[in-house]
Amino acid sequence: MRVRKRLKTIDAIKGWSLSGGYLVYTAIFWGYPFVWLVILALSKWNYFTPRKFIWFDNFIELFQDEMFWRVFFNTFNFMLYFIPMVLGLSLLFALGLKRVKLFRTFFILAFLVANVSSGVAYSIIFQKLFAINGPLNGLTRAIFGITIPWFSSPQLATLSIAIMVTWKFIGYYGLILFSGLQAIPESLYEAAELDGAGKMTKFFRITLPLINPSIVMVLVLSLTLTFGIFTEPFLITGGGPMRTTYTFQMLIYTTAFQKINPGYASTLAIVVALLSYGCVLLTRKLVEREVEIV
Amino acid sequence: MKKVPTIILYVFLFAASILWIYPYVWMLLSSFKPTNEIYSGFLPSQFTLDNYRFILEAADKMERPFIQALGNSIFISVTVTLGVLVSSALVGFALSRLNFKGKNAIFNFIIFQMIFPGFLFIVPLYVLIKNLGLIDTRTALILPSLVSAWGVFMFTQSFRAVPNEYLEAARMDGANDLWIITKVLVPLTSSTVSIVGLFTFIGIWDNFMWPLIVVSDYSKMPLSVLLASFNMQYGSYLGPVLAGSVLQTMPMVLIFLVFRKYFLQGISMSLK
Repeated sequence: MRVRKRLKTIDAIKGWSLSGGYLVYTAIFWGYPFVWLVILALSKWNYFTPRKFIWFDNFIELFQDEMFWRVFFNTFNFMLYFIPMVLGLSLLFALGLKRVKLFRTFFILAFLVANVSSGVAYSIIFQKLFAINGPLNGLTRAIFGITIPWFSSPQLATLSIAIMVTWKFIGYYGLILFSGLQAIPESLYEAAELDGAGKMTKFFRITLPLINPSIVMVLVLSLTLTFGIFTEPFLITGGGPMRTTYTFQMLIYTTAFQKINPGYASTLAIVVALLSYGCVLLTRKLVEREVEIV
Repeated sequence: MKKVPTIILYVFLFAASILWIYPYVWMLLSSFKPTNEIYSGFLPSQFTLDNYRFILEAADKMERPFIQALGNSIFISVTVTLGVLVSSALVGFALSRLNFKGKNAIFNFIIFQMIFPGFLFIVPLYVLIKNLGLIDTRTALILPSLVSAWGVFMFTQSFRAVPNEYLEAARMDGANDLWIITKVLVPLTSSTVSIVGLFTFIGIWDNFMWPLIVVSDYSKMPLSVLLASFNMQYGSYLGPVLAGSVLQTMPMVLIFLVFRKYFLQGISMSLK
């Protein structure tokens, strides 16, 4: 009895000193910034002169800020290109993978290697590949005699960045969908075939409903990603042309570190996080279905 | 309904794979070409190392010390990765294998922490780093990432799954906690350890926004930021820019190829 009690005390001491270290670190590098985030969002400040509480003025200003709405519109514009493209293509990739038996690992690696490309390096590569005098335009000029201003025309620039990000994420999202497909028992398809179901019926009545969790996962990941985009437009277009590729992250960055307005930037960060959650919740509500494979 | 012949599917997948790898191949081949040939022709007519020589020697005189930046990136990424692994193992051990009051509360708090996206903390974290007087230091790039809630979460989860018999057997032989962590728990959960290590390394190596904010001294920059600034100012030096991109990309791709098994496991694990 006594030994057990002593062991318990020793466990408690060890446990608390190890997790105590974690808690102290977290208090400094997570808790402290967290509190500051809230304080800053309610303040006007320029890092140097004394801070001034202005309560919700930042939030009120934000909803009247033309730039905020511009970026808001840009973000949804980007989603309109990006999400159907990335979801459709990664679904195709997953379905293709499911059908092939040979070289499967090669295909997976070929697509997944894009996912480990460095943000800076791949932005530079696509900037050069899609440049007016770059290889891609060299090709279209030789075949169709046209030059496409990928990054310098307002609508195209958003599409071009969506294409880049799609290139990067198809492998990852495709694998998520692929493992969803793998979980569907073959017997379901066989039973459906006996009942005379065609290809379309099988796809829409069995495949799509049963990979619903994977689809929701891909949607949630790509939505969160959309709100976090920074490197690509920052390096390639600088937010242009005509501010059409300006993202929320760029707005937070320039507000905090170029316009020296950390209060407003923190307000922006909070609103962007809430928007991102809102989109995720809405998507789950609209798309998520209970799935059970018996 | 006719099935698409499998052979067409293979042709299509091979074509797509080549298209997907093409940007890498183009980057690699172009980095060995003289600059005036980069936009014309696919294979280099002559193989040259000039671009690499330029980036490793001449760029130094243009205030863009690439070798230094490469060293910084390696140092920062390795330090953070080791820090995350050690701290996650220790805290994960406490939360999974020790009995004490409040450990469930701590674990729940860690899950709560993971809900908040990183970009929320960038501005206030900058204020903290500034107050600590760490602007323009490598410490500013290391310290805020040394401990990771996600790492602790992953380690706790997988340590929990290790059967108790292994630990009891080791204790019988007189093993202490450190021995149990390094010789029993870590080897038995090697896939989690590799996943946390790999994702941390790549995340730090590739991090761009944070070092862009806290470091403006060229000699302290990691490769990602130095390369970006070189591209912005000297974008017309196409060959050297691409050589720099190869330098920045290759470690990540090599690590990916060597540890591909764990990457695939990591992806399937994030699904659960």
